[in-house]
Amino acid sequence: MASSGCWKCLLRPSVPVSRPIIANASASFSTTTTLNANPPKKKTGAVKIVKPHQRAGSSLKIKKKAFVKPAGRPPMPGERKALRKRIVLSNTNALEVPMTDLSKDNLLDETLVGKVAGLPDVVVDQLRAVEAFKITQGWGLFRRPAILVREDSVKLARMLEAATEKKEACRVLLDGQRGAGKSMLAVHAMASAFLKGWVVINIPEAQELTTATTDYSPVPNTTPQLYSQDTYVANLLSQIGKANNAVLSTLTLSMEHKDAPIPLQSNISLARLVELGARDPDIAWPLFNIFWREITAAGRPPVMMAMDGLSYFMQYSEYRNPDFDLIHAHDLALVKHLMDHLSGSTKLPNGGAILGVMSRSHAPKSLAADLAITQTEERQLGRPRTKADPFTKYDERSLKVLGNVPVLRLQGLSRAEARGLMEYWASSGVMRTVVDEKTVAEKWTLAGNGIVGEIERGALKMRI
Amino acid sequence: MKVSWLPPSLRGGLRCACSGRPIASLSPLRQPFLSTSAKQFSITSRIRAGIAAPEIDFDELEDKNFVPDLQVAEKKEDTNGSKGKDRDDEVFYARVVPESRSYFGAQPIFIDTLITLRRLVRKYAALPTVKAGEAPRVAFRTLADYRNTSGETVGASKYSQIVEALRRLNHIHPSLRPKEVVDVLNSHKRDINPFDNKTKPIQIDRFGRALGVGKRKSSTARAFLVEGTGEVLVNGKTLVDAFARVHDRESAIWALKATDRLDKYNVWALCSGGGTTGQAEALTLAVGKALIAHEPMLKPALRRAGCVTRDPRRVERKKAGHVKARKMPTWVKR
Repeated sequence: MASSGCWKCLLRPSVPVSRPIIANASASFSTTTTLNANPPKKKTGAVKIVKPHQRAGSSLKIKKKAFVKPAGRPPMPGERKALRKRIVLSNTNALEVPMTDLSKDNLLDETLVGKVAGLPDVVVDQLRAVEAFKITQGWGLFRRPAILVREDSVKLARMLEAATEKKEACRVLLDGQRGAGKSMLAVHAMASAFLKGWVVINIPEAQELTTATTDYSPVPNTTPQLYSQDTYVANLLSQIGKANNAVLSTLTLSMEHKDAPIPLQSNISLARLVELGARDPDIAWPLFNIFWREITAAGRPPVMMAMDGLSYFMQYSEYRNPDFDLIHAHDLALVKHLMDHLSGSTKLPNGGAILGVMSRSHAPKSLAADLAITQTEERQLGRPRTKADPFTKYDERSLKVLGNVPVLRLQGLSRAEARGLMEYWASSGVMRTVVDEKTVAEKWTLAGNGIVGEIERGALKMRI
Repeated sequence: MKVSWLPPSLRGGLRCACSGRPIASLSPLRQPFLSTSAKQFSITSRIRAGIAAPEIDFDELEDKNFVPDLQVAEKKEDTNGSKGKDRDDEVFYARVVPESRSYFGAQPIFIDTLITLRRLVRKYAALPTVKAGEAPRVAFRTLADYRNTSGETVGASKYSQIVEALRRLNHIHPSLRPKEVVDVLNSHKRDINPFDNKTKPIQIDRFGRALGVGKRKSSTARAFLVEGTGEVLVNGKTLVDAFARVHDRESAIWALKATDRLDKYNVWALCSGGGTTGQAEALTLAVGKALIAHEPMLKPALRRAGCVTRDPRRVERKKAGHVKARKMPTWVKR
């Protein structure tokens, strides 16, 4: 027979489990048996119910930590992102370094190679307006924005000069390993374009256009179907207006635009036109087209277009069409516009430049871009061309676009350039070691034969 | 009589001499040679040689009358036996004469060896010797090895006397060494002479390259060092691409950095096996060795910088009953 007590600890139950037959619980004359009565209600509250096998002793009890509400006001929506993206361009603690500023005249000056040149304040504002500065470039360490003039910058400046003279587009693909200074060279090129009075259009991050973070809508009457990104284009127009205000405010509309979504006055300036487009995203794309027609008309200044992180354009975007298929990046209207100019299928009649900057740190791998770059470089050097791998699927449209874009590959800095840069750091008070041959040689070698980003990492960021 | 230390073939004979046990109980192999009472103590010359001095040949002794009875008994036996006269058939005396005077000492073999060696030293003391330090380098057997083979407890200072004599013999001019000296020296040499194992100095080839090889953990690195400007390529990649960690980059070129030669040489290296840290530290050794080929005077500086000595540590193997090399499973009550 099973015992009513706890079989493990052999304790007698303090409360009998089986219901005892109570003889004297009710009056003897009652006809209602106690057995049929409802059991007494359990008392709720502080009454401790002793279980039959409860033992004395302690057991592990883990208290859940109460949620601590953070003190203070939580950040507003977008506040943290703004803080993250904030670009600081000056540091009052840094020492002031005497240096020559970049100007229209010294862009081709070879004596400046290996020296750090300051950016004029006007240009800094313009560059800031087109979002040319990036948070990783360490601008906040120095008194004012300045940039190292290297051999490649003079080379690029010469290419731009030649393009202006010939009234054709200077198409360049900037490539090089991570930290080689590609984006920095693009900043240099944009600064020189601003100095020369060009109109500059910059796409600071290609991924913003293709990763489905901004709205898109089909452009009517297009085959194949194109998609415009109205909010982005409106923002871009506002950037163009702010950065190039000095140039655009002097230019007025030169032709009649019948396809304008809103009635346009015939004598408004291009700055006003851009402002109209920036105000209303719904008409941004048509107005961008009108702006483009105007800016490429005869007698207008050259245009520079720069885009960073080009490999995002060399694949399918993350947008979907009505059939729920992925849209190729080249079917986005703005991207198509850029690609047409990069590939050279659309000309710039007033001259100008299209800079495509590859990214080697945060970018998808584009086999087509890599193959095209390899083949172009081999053609430039007169080497036998690498064949495409027959078993690899390349993005054909990207191959077609990048097939004949000249490549400017950035290598590491030369010793002289590295030394100039380190002397600038030292005189700014950021680098505290003596800059001599030995230090320069050490940092230069450790940075993989002068990769400028790695020199900075070794000299400025990893100080112990 | 205690006979346990004797060779087994001898024990039986001596035992039966001491005790009155019947001979028939012994093994049939020994029976014929124990069958006659006259042969009771005789043993083979081979065994005897191991324990005793050579027997005295009484025939050649002048006083032949000294042992008349035994001689007679032996002669009788000869006429009875089928075989001719043999050394084995000679009479064995239970009281054997020790071969060596040091037989009753604590270390007879050692003493004998030492006497032999010193006798040789004395004998050939007049032979021309080479200058001190110019004798061929020889590693003699270690003390532990000597103790093992001789089975005697010899102290270190005692053994050094042997080594001293051997060294003296080794200094006799090699072209004039007598054969017995050579034999003695050879018998005391170690099986493998560590001094024969000479490191080949790294040569600089006609392109000015020195090839150094280094290892660490399970990585191997080969570094070609040429005079240059401080460019480094590892497996065709720059230092930045080859090693993501700055620490690894520093280890890879540490030999050059520690000696201030970073802008004097170019490195072209191949690494394989293991992980990044192993490869980088293998490169330290490889570059260090190649640098020694270019500038041998840097060796002490490189040794101080840790670019010469190979770190022999490897991953310890996992053991049965352990979770890893040493980790034991968690203790469980039941």
